[in-house]
Amino acid sequence: MDQVVNSAGVETMTDEQLDVLERQIAGKYMRIVPWGAVAWGIGNCLVFIALFPLVLLGVLPLWLGFVAATACVALSYLPSHEAQHNIIAGKGRPLRWLNELVGHVSTIPLVYPYRVLRATHMEHHAHTNNPELDPDYDVCAKSSWDFLVKNVRGRLVGGQRDDAYGNALARTGQSGLLIDAVAYNTVFLLIMFTMAWSGYAIEAALLWWLPKHIATTYISYYLSWAPHHPGEAQGRYRDTRAFRSRLGNLGSMGMQYHIIHHLYPRIPLSLTPAAYRDLKPILERKGCDLGAL
Amino acid sequence: MQQVIKFLFSPVAFALGFLWPLFTQIFIATDLLQAGGLAIGIGAVVALTWGVMAQLRGSWIWIK
Repeated sequence: MDQVVNSAGVETMTDEQLDVLERQIAGKYMRIVPWGAVAWGIGNCLVFIALFPLVLLGVLPLWLGFVAATACVALSYLPSHEAQHNIIAGKGRPLRWLNELVGHVSTIPLVYPYRVLRATHMEHHAHTNNPELDPDYDVCAKSSWDFLVKNVRGRLVGGQRDDAYGNALARTGQSGLLIDAVAYNTVFLLIMFTMAWSGYAIEAALLWWLPKHIATTYISYYLSWAPHHPGEAQGRYRDTRAFRSRLGNLGSMGMQYHIIHHLYPRIPLSLTPAAYRDLKPILERKGCDLGAL
Repeated sequence: MQQVIKFLFSPVAFALGFLWPLFTQIFIATDLLQAGGLAIGIGAVVALTWGVMAQLRGSWIWIK
């Protein structure tokens, strides 16, 4: 790919030339195994599990365990997200087993089964911002504050999100995957109950129960609400935006460049900033909402 | 089996299995109550009242 992309060159191209160039540029960033995500997914889960004996044996203070556990749960989704899109290895590839291992293991702290996440996430990609068909559409809210209130209230009042996911699975003939969700949540509750009645209720609350809720809200905000806000537009170049986060790219888990992910889901998360910079003139020409990024 | 799972995921089960010992241990850890029957009893009353309310209302915060 020797082609230099600049605003002036892009301005004079036809739509067809632009599409070809866009695919060529994106192709540079695909078919690369994200080993960092592999280490992150498995390592993060191991660190999370290790927090329990470390805190219960008094090696680590509970407050520090709470902070670390919250970080671990918040960081648990994205490696699985790479696996959901077969970025580590597609079907039939030698490393397929690793793709599936990372997918399953990394979301254990979040108590969300990989197969359910993958099935519903594909529906999100296929129908982004469609009020009827996008299982993540219920996160839409006018502002960050409205999102927070809606998200927390939805969990205290009823399982809106679970309904949306259940409906998406039923619509696509994959209701059987709900057994995974029942199994994950049954094990989670039994661990919580056992710890609580063994005298470790406060530890259970601060090492898993509360971190899971905080992380779920955080993940929903940066992966669902922020990149698709205001959630009104549909279409390849309209349903996702670039934005500048107050927490920076790391604090927003790389979601400032989520538009790249929706255009080319096989580009690894770590390469989306570089791909964005390369593709920016084309995205501007396509009329994408690139915010202040 | 379906009934067992339905109960396991109910607010009352969460109150019985988690909130009851959690409140009891919080009362003791914050020196509000001494360890013993009183802490366990008050923990049960607070947790189960909240759990039953959530079960009947379908909401942990009363409003829907």
